[in-house]
Amino acid sequence: MNPYVPRIAVIESIVDETPDIKTFRLRITDGGFSFVPGQFVMVSVLGVGESAISISSHPDDAEKFIEISVRKVGNVTGSLFRLKPGDKVGVRGPFGNGWPVDKAVGKDLLIVGGGCGQGALRPLILDVLRHRDRYGRVEILYGARTPQDLMFKYEHDVWASVPQGCLLLTVDRVPPGVEWKHNVGVVTRLFEHVTVDPANSLVCICGPEIMMHFAVKGLLSMGFKESQIYLSMERRMKCGVGKCGHCQIGGKYVCKDGPIFTYEELKLEPDKIL
Amino acid sequence: MGKASQLFKTDLKGLDRLIKKLRSDGYVVYGPVKRGRSWFFLEIDSVKQVDLNYVRTVLPPKKLLHPPREKLFEFKLGDGFEVSEKPMPPTVALFGVHPCDLKAIERQDEFFSQTPEDPYYLARRRNALIIGLTCTRVDENCFCLSRGTGPEVSTGFDILITDVGNGYLLEPGSAKGLELLKSLGFQEVGDEYLEAKQKLIEELKKSFTKQMPPEGLAELAKSMLEHEVWKETAERCLSCGNCSLVCPTCYCFDVYDVLELNLRSGVRVRELDSCQLLEYAEVALGGNFRRNRFQRLRHWMLCKFGVAGGGLYSSCVGCGRCIVYCPANIDLTEVASRLRGGG
Repeated sequence: MNPYVPRIAVIESIVDETPDIKTFRLRITDGGFSFVPGQFVMVSVLGVGESAISISSHPDDAEKFIEISVRKVGNVTGSLFRLKPGDKVGVRGPFGNGWPVDKAVGKDLLIVGGGCGQGALRPLILDVLRHRDRYGRVEILYGARTPQDLMFKYEHDVWASVPQGCLLLTVDRVPPGVEWKHNVGVVTRLFEHVTVDPANSLVCICGPEIMMHFAVKGLLSMGFKESQIYLSMERRMKCGVGKCGHCQIGGKYVCKDGPIFTYEELKLEPDKIL
Repeated sequence: MGKASQLFKTDLKGLDRLIKKLRSDGYVVYGPVKRGRSWFFLEIDSVKQVDLNYVRTVLPPKKLLHPPREKLFEFKLGDGFEVSEKPMPPTVALFGVHPCDLKAIERQDEFFSQTPEDPYYLARRRNALIIGLTCTRVDENCFCLSRGTGPEVSTGFDILITDVGNGYLLEPGSAKGLELLKSLGFQEVGDEYLEAKQKLIEELKKSFTKQMPPEGLAELAKSMLEHEVWKETAERCLSCGNCSLVCPTCYCFDVYDVLELNLRSGVRVRELDSCQLLEYAEVALGGNFRRNRFQRLRHWMLCKFGVAGGGLYSSCVGCGRCIVYCPANIDLTEVASRLRGGG
């Protein structure tokens, strides 16, 4: 099979998450699709180009649909924003390694998201909701620029009601006139409320690299080990299959060795903020 | 090749017959041709066009196996899209490939064979026939000897030609090569020709002046990411990307769509790219993880030292092209020796 040729997917529905993020529900037209939480797809708008985008839905639904949550940042994502339900896009993948769901069995989970990074974490959160008994205590920390920039607001009540867990939200600032009863400040400010046991837990983080940089610093000082901290990295990709070279971080390929790495794996590589 | 394999010998006319036979078998044959002061792999139909004493071509034979630009597929837009893959390119025979370039092709073979396989490269490669040529001379920028990638070579060719003075020794390196040599009725010879070849190679080894031994270099370079040599060297670097284009092991490419003016059809293309170019490591919203020139130079050199990018697959084979064609006279062997503490 030619890994460079996309399959055709139909846009079934579109949800406006924030002023610049939409979630597209896609049905792959030629059948079977499976993935693990944390993997990504290469999405094509033919004639414009292709972008790497995390899958934001749960693997159990993959036979029926996958969802991608896209922030409008460039040509391809801009073109996606102009599409309507019924329109078709190209999809290749899934690619990458995924969150350590097997290693996390029986352990506490600390999930830390920033901005549109929450899209890559949602499959993991949905997995906790659907298979609650697999995990220990689960704490979700999520930060965005403003209350309007939070994704999946319609699911927050469900996330917050996970037994033996919590959802802590924070925003950088609250525009005048907006009601906000949660925290204000960077996401690492929420660390003081964390109660998972560093000795028996995994941390999964996805967000801007500068946010992950400070999150790692904070977590290390709280007693988490470098090998317990999983980070979903983002680099522009042209192929998704470890050939084009664009996503290299030193000797690592984000597309095939990642996108999820432990801090231990990445800390000695050059050319990153982390 | 082991000693057990058959050996053949021929003269210049025999090499010409080999080229003509390849052409009649449907291969487009490329060989090293001199133009001005440089050599280029160009299409040939006779051995007379070839300079069997060449040192190095400007572009490596990579240009024929992993072309500078190629169509991945064509698409038609309508209700969704239709994709059609392009037909196979003509089959090529590379005549007169030096050991460093043979080794580079082997590394690209392995790189593109990793799962998932690259169907474009591998299809072209499977159909290709490669005729190696033992070097007759080296220049001040050759350093394959220190890389273990030449001037001796035992794999990576269908046939290996060596000028042994009183004719050309022909060693088959594959069943395809052996069949070809037999079909041309070349004279079979004994192991004494291998001894003669070995003597020439031992003599050749004495003329190498440049070196960059791989031993420990990868680990050393990775432990010296903050060494001043990176920034100092980058002050001269023009970020032109020449080093990548002429490197036989650089494989990185960009992918983009070209839409026809009718907006109904187009092609997706891949084109060789270079990590030396500013746009290479750009990410969304204008971010760039190798915005500084020294970071790009360091990334490229780490890759050639075997500790970034494709690791050993894209590491240096000592052909010297990046040194010869650098407009700023940057020499990666000097950087390596600085890292080793030599000045």
